[in-house]
Amino acid sequence: MIVPVNVVLALSAVLFGIGAFGFLARRNIILMLISVEVMLNAVNVSLAGFSRHLGDLRGQVLALFVIAVAAAEVGVGLGLVIALNRNKPGAAVGDLTKLKW
Amino acid sequence: MLNAEPDLSGKRFLLTAIFYYMAAASVASALLAVTRRNPVHSMLWVLALFLHVAGIFLLLGAEFLAAVQVIVYAGAILMFYLFVVMLFDLPAEEVRPRFGNHWPFAAAVGLGFACLAWIARVGAGAPSAGTPVAVERVPQGNLRAIGTALFGPFVLPFEIASLLLLAAIVGAVVLARRRAA
Repeated sequence: MIVPVNVVLALSAVLFGIGAFGFLARRNIILMLISVEVMLNAVNVSLAGFSRHLGDLRGQVLALFVIAVAAAEVGVGLGLVIALNRNKPGAAVGDLTKLKW
Repeated sequence: MLNAEPDLSGKRFLLTAIFYYMAAASVASALLAVTRRNPVHSMLWVLALFLHVAGIFLLLGAEFLAAVQVIVYAGAILMFYLFVVMLFDLPAEEVRPRFGNHWPFAAAVGLGFACLAWIARVGAGAPSAGTPVAVERVPQGNLRAIGTALFGPFVLPFEIASLLLLAAIVGAVVLARRRAA
């Protein structure tokens, strides 16, 4: 392994933190979903690092499943965004108050 | 792998330098992606992030994962996002504030997660133990080993993933269909 595993894990943690910040701070629903993708990528980096460190292939297989779930999430999430956009144009989550009373 | 060079240390140093470049570039592009005002610029920075993460996968010996990352993430998922961004009224979105009023709390949460890196620093001395499944380190690519694992011990999760993708396709079609008013 060319770098120690803690460097990979630290990179994964920093990427996950950036994604969490983006998800909580952005007010555009598409950019919130993109931040979720950043977080999933961070988890994949960590899984690949562990897979290399432990010499175990299950980490990479799990990362493949994470990618499959991310693809499903994108399909349903963006379908929801399009359906919301039909009711109220725009992508700002502050405008989505239809279920409030 | 290339044929064995006499000075392996030079090659190792080069690979380490490439890894640190990939790490720095992915962190920088992730930061830019979550802070740009224009969503299309954010998408392009996320594309840079995905490609650099694919490079990290290559350096970690996960060649198939790198290929899947480029094809599925950078190819399919990001194109889907870009299509939806193009459908929206961007100029109206750009004048709105980027962050909510509570963005300092969000920054604190992000920093809290990033502090996990500090914990990763200590937990590094863990011995390289584990119970390898079906394969010991194969030096020449790992596609065969991943295929064997996917259709061997992981066949049930694999089928469940395909069922999940089918449900997602049906759900997306149902959600995005225009109702007959």
